[in-house]
Amino acid sequence: MKYKDYDIIDFLLEEFFIQWVKNPDKNTRHFWEKWLQQHPEKRDMVLEAASIIRSVKYANSPELSDEMYVESFENIIKAGHPIPERKLKNKSWFSFYPLKNIAAILIFGFCGWMVHSHMIVGVQPEVPVEKEEITVRRTVPLGKRSIITLADSSRVFLNSGSEMEYPKSFNQGDRWVRLKGEAFFEVKKNGSSFSVFAKNTEIKVLGTSFNVKEADKDLSVALVSGKVQVNDQKGNQVRLNPAEMLAIKEDGKFSKTSFDSLEVTGWKDRILVFRSASFREVKRKIENWYGVEVSSNGKVSREWKYSGIYKEETLENVLRGIFITSGMQYHIENRKVTLYNPK
Amino acid sequence: MKPQKKENLSPTNLVLSLKQNDSLLQFENKTDEEVWSAFDKGNELAFNYIYRIHVKSMFRYGSQITCDTGLIQDCVQNIFIQLRDKRGSLSTVQNIKGYLFKSLQREIIRKLKKDSKLGKDGLDQNDNYFPITLSHESVLIHRERDEECRQKIKKALTELTTRQRQAILLLYEEGLSYREIADTMEFSEVKSARKIIYRGLATLKDILQK
Repeated sequence: MKYKDYDIIDFLLEEFFIQWVKNPDKNTRHFWEKWLQQHPEKRDMVLEAASIIRSVKYANSPELSDEMYVESFENIIKAGHPIPERKLKNKSWFSFYPLKNIAAILIFGFCGWMVHSHMIVGVQPEVPVEKEEITVRRTVPLGKRSIITLADSSRVFLNSGSEMEYPKSFNQGDRWVRLKGEAFFEVKKNGSSFSVFAKNTEIKVLGTSFNVKEADKDLSVALVSGKVQVNDQKGNQVRLNPAEMLAIKEDGKFSKTSFDSLEVTGWKDRILVFRSASFREVKRKIENWYGVEVSSNGKVSREWKYSGIYKEETLENVLRGIFITSGMQYHIENRKVTLYNPK
Repeated sequence: MKPQKKENLSPTNLVLSLKQNDSLLQFENKTDEEVWSAFDKGNELAFNYIYRIHVKSMFRYGSQITCDTGLIQDCVQNIFIQLRDKRGSLSTVQNIKGYLFKSLQREIIRKLKKDSKLGKDGLDQNDNYFPITLSHESVLIHRERDEECRQKIKKALTELTTRQRQAILLLYEEGLSYREIADTMEFSEVKSARKIIYRGLATLKDILQK
């Protein structure tokens, strides 16, 4: 039956018509206004039907008071139990958490660490977590960097002192890794999403390249190309565009900035970059980069800043470059660097 | 690149967040399914949004079944507390309003039965539920017979069965679709929703077609 043959009951029953009366949008408005122009003989009937639809009300319609509105919300929030972490992760991740497995991970992780620190060779201890899901844990000792190719041929540059866990194969379709430290990701597009878990935060991407750095208690995500979405454990979501960096502080506060791509991602190409770095930053970077311990007997002015770029340089050359200009001397012994003011 | 503001979502801040519009901005253009899935994943702004958008209509809907406002408030809270506890394993929901209405109705009936204020058969036995009226605010077309007509329609509406009134109110007052009404009233088929409303409106036929 066409609309022109409708009687009032038909209109009263017609969803598309009710939609126009109750929640008009561009689509319904366009149609029904035009239709009414073309069928003026139906105008009274249509308007009467619309009038009835609008007039039907609850006879008894008490309003929720503002006090009750706020009070209920408060009661709901306070009554709840915190959401179990595991329930929010996807299944493959879930399998990581049960207590019985934690000991295994820690022991294997420790062994891995021992092997690394004694042999300083890129060893990859494999950590079977449970039958269905074989995961691999890789740690990179201080002073070393490593490139890992994942099962989907995505590449991960793992910076010194960092650690990553990932399934040996991504057979269930979901791709994920767990990161401690810093890594640069070149994720291959394959239709399913790729998640990096770092510090209670999920960084979700399709195909893209970006840097993730967890330093002290802060986390930063710098996007080079593509798109990423960052979800923290509190359910906040932030999307990043290329050349944007998201910094998440320990207390959960976050901010977006631009970033110097050489400074943030240069490490993956073995370029050590200082950009008006403070003495503390320089010290920490050298310690990480070369796997040494730096101590200082001298005094450094608070205003002291250093900028410089080194590609595949020896520790000695870098130290000379940095400290010659600052009037400091250095002494290298074993894996210890001592800085001092010349007498 | 404006810096993103982020709330520290402790209970106090969550309550304060009721006064801010972040959740509205983030979710108003999303489908119910997307909002629900965000809520399931633990997104507090999504919960905030659901609460804001639906709690007043839930309260009003509950008032159609009982006038005990304390009981309605309890039931609304219970529903949300249970849903929050089940986050991470909630099933998908296409129409949040309908889903919440259905849950609320079940919860209220369960409570009323427990307090022996309701017989075993639930709502259908009694005729006091979902009282309906025809408001003055819109003017019917034939002015001279306006008031008379309005009174007749109103009378006919109040004489409908509880289920018919409920369905008509869900359709017109709440603006739900037949599919959503079928979900809310727990009909297995969408056409049952249309049928119950058709039967109700058919009683108006004589008045309207004069």
